[in-house]
Amino acid sequence: MATIAVPLEAQAEQHEAEAVRRPALSEYLRWSVDHKIIGVQYGVASFLFFLVGGAMAMGIRLELWTPTLDLMVSGSAYNSLFTMHGTIMIFLFIIPMWAAFGNFVVPLQLGAKDMAFPWLNAFAFWLIPPAAIVILLGYFVTPAEAGWTSYPPLSTLFSGDGQTLWALGAHLLGISSIMGSINFIVTILNMRPPQMTVWRMPLLCWAVLATSIIAVMATPFLAGALTLLLLDRVAGTTFFDAAGGGDVLLWQNIFWFYSHPAVYIMVLPGMGVLSEVLSIHCRKPVFGYRMVGLSSMGIAFVGFTVWAHHMFTSLQPELRIPFMITTMIIAVPTGIKMFSWLGTIWGGKMRFTSALLFALGFMSMFVIGGITGVMLAALPFDIHVHDTYFVVSHFHFVLFGGSVFAIYAALYHWFPKVTGRMMNERLGRIHFAFTYFGFLFTFFPMHIVGMLGMPRRVAVYDPNFTEWNQLISFAAFVLGFSTFIVVYNVIHSYFHGPVAGANPWRALTLEWATTSPPPVTNFADDPIPFEDPYGYGTEASVAYLEAVEAAFDGGRPGS
Amino acid sequence: MTSYVDRQEKAKFGLDRDAEMRLKNNRLGMTIFQASWIMVFFALIVVNWQLRFSYAQWPPAGVTPFDPLLPSAATLALLLSALLARGGWRQLRRGQLGVFLNSWRLALALGLVFMALIMVEFAAVSDAALATQYGVTMRLMTGFHVAHALAILAVMLRVYRNAARGSYSGDPHDSWPVEGTVKLWYFVTVAWLLFYVVLYWIR
Repeated sequence: MATIAVPLEAQAEQHEAEAVRRPALSEYLRWSVDHKIIGVQYGVASFLFFLVGGAMAMGIRLELWTPTLDLMVSGSAYNSLFTMHGTIMIFLFIIPMWAAFGNFVVPLQLGAKDMAFPWLNAFAFWLIPPAAIVILLGYFVTPAEAGWTSYPPLSTLFSGDGQTLWALGAHLLGISSIMGSINFIVTILNMRPPQMTVWRMPLLCWAVLATSIIAVMATPFLAGALTLLLLDRVAGTTFFDAAGGGDVLLWQNIFWFYSHPAVYIMVLPGMGVLSEVLSIHCRKPVFGYRMVGLSSMGIAFVGFTVWAHHMFTSLQPELRIPFMITTMIIAVPTGIKMFSWLGTIWGGKMRFTSALLFALGFMSMFVIGGITGVMLAALPFDIHVHDTYFVVSHFHFVLFGGSVFAIYAALYHWFPKVTGRMMNERLGRIHFAFTYFGFLFTFFPMHIVGMLGMPRRVAVYDPNFTEWNQLISFAAFVLGFSTFIVVYNVIHSYFHGPVAGANPWRALTLEWATTSPPPVTNFADDPIPFEDPYGYGTEASVAYLEAVEAAFDGGRPGS
Repeated sequence: MTSYVDRQEKAKFGLDRDAEMRLKNNRLGMTIFQASWIMVFFALIVVNWQLRFSYAQWPPAGVTPFDPLLPSAATLALLLSALLARGGWRQLRRGQLGVFLNSWRLALALGLVFMALIMVEFAAVSDAALATQYGVTMRLMTGFHVAHALAILAVMLRVYRNAARGSYSGDPHDSWPVEGTVKLWYFVTVAWLLFYVVLYWIR
């Protein structure tokens, strides 16, 4: 039986009293414990790092235009460039970017007034700027050049002081990530409205919950590894030096015990976003809701058992097969999600908004990244393409084709809620076209050069690969250019976009049952969630959406 | 899931919802923090474990094994300290501030005894042991643990002084600092027990 009893009237009253007020821009530059402000702080800061890391990627591609050294003075300079690119993109862009959406959206979806620990939330964010400064400063002293994975002995014996700063910065980011994740878990488990059982929770909350569980259980291993690295670098210990009784594989084990689960930290929230965006923009219930929620947990759990597949070439041979098997098992929960998304859009009333386009982009690209993942899990193939561009291609398909596409989908989807303005859809589609094709032609050919044998992390390569690399670089510049379109769109829409209203997408989750942007306390009273967060197409849902519209000024774009 | 004690508390204090939510959040947050941060200690155990295989035998040839006598005494002191801290907190909940203060004085003293004994052990590692990972990982692990114990002892001292000034009534909502500190002290105890077994008993 449908209950549409939302205390919308109370909220509407408050809405009229307060009008929709956007926080002044200066509020974003100050300490604030409001989860909505913190969410935007996370988002803008991470996006700035995305631009820095992206500029470095352009530098990498420029260097690779010819098979000889031209932009870089030496191979070492090139090493430090891709080290910074990887570090920035992973630690300073994707991970905090998901904290941005998690912070802004999760409490709203739960009908909560804020996160469980608002002060801790702000503190976790404000650890990021100093960490970023420390890491970036490292680039200007003697830069780290051991890659984002920082394998010893490269990171102990052959890397400058920048490596020490890198480790310090990464340490701070790890602590920030743990604090943020504790906050998410407590918020999601404790602060749901009484009507919302875990089986009625929006899938983004499920995904953030799974991600946070990974983060709290895995990130301490990063802290341990970095502590040892710092001690080896500054205190003269030899944990990673075989000459002193240490073991270089020790780093690989501990680091990957964190960093493989961290791969899911980077993509699980994106999968949550996908379920939201596909369902809302195709007007259909999520196919197999429970299995999608549980598959997030499945990925989180199995993700802890696969780390040594990063070490197939350095591992004891008898351990390779077990890790190959666990790695392939990960494809099962991931496949559940993929089929759920297909089932969700199947026969749906699709509205090709920019958010949906990016979500569909995610589906097509992530499935390629997933399949190359299974290929790489196969030991005989992995040893053949180990440390080639095939690997580079694989992880960019999951991290860009997966995470970044989902970040863009989330941006177009929640921008109206954050700012109260719609983004320009035409620019959004142009952005999508440039990103999609730029991405595809940047990274797909890397599979081929990888299988032909081009090693990764080299500035000077076999001239036979020149044409492939020029194609890749050209596409990469197109991809780089596409970023400016979204930057322009965001800035322009923030000031001049059409007013969004409370619920421009006619969505059923709670974040849309308040004004855009929401008032400081989010909801005037305790909101009552609709019985099914994705129950589109029922009479009850239409009645609910009409009630929301009636309560908040029509709720349509442009009204 | 509300326990019997929780329901009693509710009946007794007639709490408002926000305070109740804060307490619930604090408790869950503490549990998750404990589960999370213990993983660093596990990471160090992995370090110890993996480095053992760099040597033909453990302790390496020519290194005398650590004598477990002093660390065992320290462990006993820490266990007693944790029990006293817990007992004190239970008494405070019943309104027995005097008993609480007495228990915590003892708990703090035993905590200091633990620290002192461990520091003696830390200082006494022989040069022969320090030339191998046997001595170095021992110093890494005990040093890392002592840093935590020291920080949390300082928090306990602070809470003790606040309690002596009458800041905590025994109502769990305004005495969360006491409960939280006790739980952090449990954490230190459990983390040490893991290290104690790995360092002194697994050869």
